[in-house]
Amino acid sequence: MTASFPTAAQALLPNGLRDLLPPDAEQEAFVASRLVATFVANGYHRVKPPLIEFEESLLSGAGRTAAAQTFRVMDPITQRMMGLRSDMTTQVARIAASRLARAPRPLRLAYSGSVLRVRGSQLRPERQFTQAGLELIGAAGEDAVAEVLLLAVEALEQAGVERVCIDLTCPPLVPALCAALGLDEARAQAVRDVLEQKDLVAVGDLVGAEAAAVLRALLETVGPAERGVEALVALDLPEPAVAMRDSLVALARRVAGAVPHHDLTLDPLEHHGFEYHTGTAFCLFGRGARGELGRGGAYETGPDGAVEPSAGATLYLDAVLDVATCPPPRRLVLISPTLPAARRRALQAEGWATVPALGAAVDQAEALRLGCSHILDENGQPRALAPADQG
Amino acid sequence: MAFDARDGADKLVIALPKGRILDEAMPLVRATGLEPEPAFDDPKSRQLRFATNHPGVDIIRVRSFDVATFVAFGAAHLGIAGNDVIMEFNYPELQAPLDLGIGACRLAVAESVALHAQDDPVRWSHIRVATKYPEITRAHFAARGVQAECIKLNGAMELAPALGLCRRIVDLVSTGSTLRANGLVEVETIAHVTSRLVVNRTAMKVRSREMALWIDRFREVCHARAA
Repeated sequence: MTASFPTAAQALLPNGLRDLLPPDAEQEAFVASRLVATFVANGYHRVKPPLIEFEESLLSGAGRTAAAQTFRVMDPITQRMMGLRSDMTTQVARIAASRLARAPRPLRLAYSGSVLRVRGSQLRPERQFTQAGLELIGAAGEDAVAEVLLLAVEALEQAGVERVCIDLTCPPLVPALCAALGLDEARAQAVRDVLEQKDLVAVGDLVGAEAAAVLRALLETVGPAERGVEALVALDLPEPAVAMRDSLVALARRVAGAVPHHDLTLDPLEHHGFEYHTGTAFCLFGRGARGELGRGGAYETGPDGAVEPSAGATLYLDAVLDVATCPPPRRLVLISPTLPAARRRALQAEGWATVPALGAAVDQAEALRLGCSHILDENGQPRALAPADQG
Repeated sequence: MAFDARDGADKLVIALPKGRILDEAMPLVRATGLEPEPAFDDPKSRQLRFATNHPGVDIIRVRSFDVATFVAFGAAHLGIAGNDVIMEFNYPELQAPLDLGIGACRLAVAESVALHAQDDPVRWSHIRVATKYPEITRAHFAARGVQAECIKLNGAMELAPALGLCRRIVDLVSTGSTLRANGLVEVETIAHVTSRLVVNRTAMKVRSREMALWIDRFREVCHARAA
């Protein structure tokens, strides 16, 4: 057995939670502010909902699908159940439907903050992560989805992601097809599950040959948009699915025209994680990132039962950081603690981070010990450490 | 150097299962135009990763259960795995777009001949089962209201009933001769098993054209064999 020290036991964090250390914490904050800055520059206003709120408001409306992912605690004051947010979209939708119900539409809101989930996913075991997103409330159709999608992509470009893979989907399409094919709820759920794995053999076992043929034809449209769009247009679908297909095709053509330098794929069968979306939706991927960079789409929200069409997009900072370009860390220069503030600020304005030599001489040894690349010389100028000392 | 997920991102990696299925899979792989380097067929080679005649494609050879894991986590982009393995893990990031029609067998419940003569499955509330497939087994019995206590074994399941480890097993059966040789009888089929082409969900998006190309080639080869 190895000896265990009290500090080692204290360092153990619960599953899926971690400390972000330098320089990762700095980079995450930098990238988050970059993303939100892009949203703000395009007419979105920042909001900041609380970390925790009453369960019934957090989990109502679009939030009802989040129940299984939400940590709950009892409020000792009111004795009511509270939930820790697992997604900020539903909080922003609540703000739009209540306090900002009278603000002019379309209402453009942006946010960034941490969320906590009961379980991580296979690819992203993190239970706490930072989201940055935007919601366009009171706007419908492919115009609204295209606006949030293209703005999310632009924000990623601003954060240095060179190539984004945009996957377009339509979550209500498969349920509409199942209804048109006359499947009961249990069977429709089973069909959705096996379609998620693109397992046509299992689909064929669940539904008749005729229904399986429709789903097979739809499956063949999955993939690069340049060939999927034509195949999708040519499909003979039952009535309610036609309108959905048409809006998916319209969105695909629009996005392909607007950002031809990014990759565009179609997956009309995807619905996992899109439980509250009511129209076209999308996932964003990046080469080199473990999982999705973000996702979004059309959904419905509204005050007191009134339905307001909306669209939104959320980016996941931990995934974005895998592919974002982060600025080089600031160069560190060791200074005397008594250096006049004006000189210190001037150095900082030039991009230096100033490290005061507390209780030690401003010399090579101390600079090396604190990881500074430079020290401030007699003339008040940063001087690189001598190579011999750095070695 | 720190691990970078982008290292080697240019190579497409295909994971193939060791053992029984490999013999049936290789003719398909070769028919798509992929030819691994000679070390692949050298039983003395200890190499695990092999270059191919396509400079952008590598093959890795791992245990059949690990094919699903490598592909699900994106370490390999495509693979060949039985639907027994796919069902057992039920990875959300794994998709199975094509049935290759090879490696056909079935996943079945078996028990000793003596037990079978007097057994009434309707009366079960709890059973103990030795298996390589605890998740499938638990789900299968839970669906009919029976709690299955699973003892995970990695092979030689057929020994377990005779030695008193448990009274029933869940295992792959192809001809049934191993069961018969061990005094067991197949009582129920859980699933029919064939090998599937499996793909990673993210790779399907990020490398959609390459992935579509290889899936199409495998599909053509399968159709040609079926015809």
